[in-house]
Amino acid sequence: MGAVFRVLLYLYPQRHRELLGAEMQAVFEEGAREHRLLGPFQYLRFVLLELGGLVLHAAIAQFAHATHRGYLENQVRGTSAPPQDLPDDVIEAQNRVAVSVNQLLFAISHHQFNQARFYKNEERKARENLRQMREKYGIGDPRPLP
Amino acid sequence: MRHVARRPAIEHTKPLTEPVLLILMSLAAQPRHGYALIKDIEALSRHRVRLSTGTLYGALRRLLDEGWIERFEQEDTSRDKQAYRLTSEGRRQLELELDRFRELSRAGFARLRLGEA
Repeated sequence: MGAVFRVLLYLYPQRHRELLGAEMQAVFEEGAREHRLLGPFQYLRFVLLELGGLVLHAAIAQFAHATHRGYLENQVRGTSAPPQDLPDDVIEAQNRVAVSVNQLLFAISHHQFNQARFYKNEERKARENLRQMREKYGIGDPRPLP
Repeated sequence: MRHVARRPAIEHTKPLTEPVLLILMSLAAQPRHGYALIKDIEALSRHRVRLSTGTLYGALRRLLDEGWIERFEQEDTSRDKQAYRLTSEGRRQLELELDRFRELSRAGFARLRLGEA
């Protein structure tokens, strides 16, 4: 059944599959092992729910991928390298910066200055983390971040 | 002189979905990997909720998008057993949601008492 699950993972957007596919497969197999011990009915119920859920959420992920650039698609402006060329740590760090900046801008535009101060602090920490990640992998900063 | 109306300090949060709330609650105590999250959520909900792998990773992905959780490197975990933990923003959002529940439940009980009187 693991093979069926692995094939169905191809319904997900490539970036999602690359980053989370192996984990999802491992979680499914751990659950399958546990449910196999509970008898054939429980196992069949588990498999049907898992495979049905996978197809449904793959469709949702494809829709989100088509309409929204999020964490896995590297939403930071000013990044010259495509996401697949960067280590996951760096992509995560870049996206933390982008999320903080978006939250900061939202808070300022809604006159929520206490929150803006909070997000400014988060942004500072996220930028420092990104700097360390770039240093760790020896990646230059091609263009200033927003 | 231009007057700017003071806006009330309302948080811009939407109610969280049940899987998202349960994931945040589970991670509030300690970092966990995928299967441990499923088991903990099952226990947390008194066996009412068992997330499928698709539901779990759909929610985890949205939480990563929002910056409410982060992937966490543990020495004893491989790439296919990655741990997750709450960020400070995730903790704040969980607190806001739990406050909202507290207010809602207070209002609900007040209405019940009115009905009984």
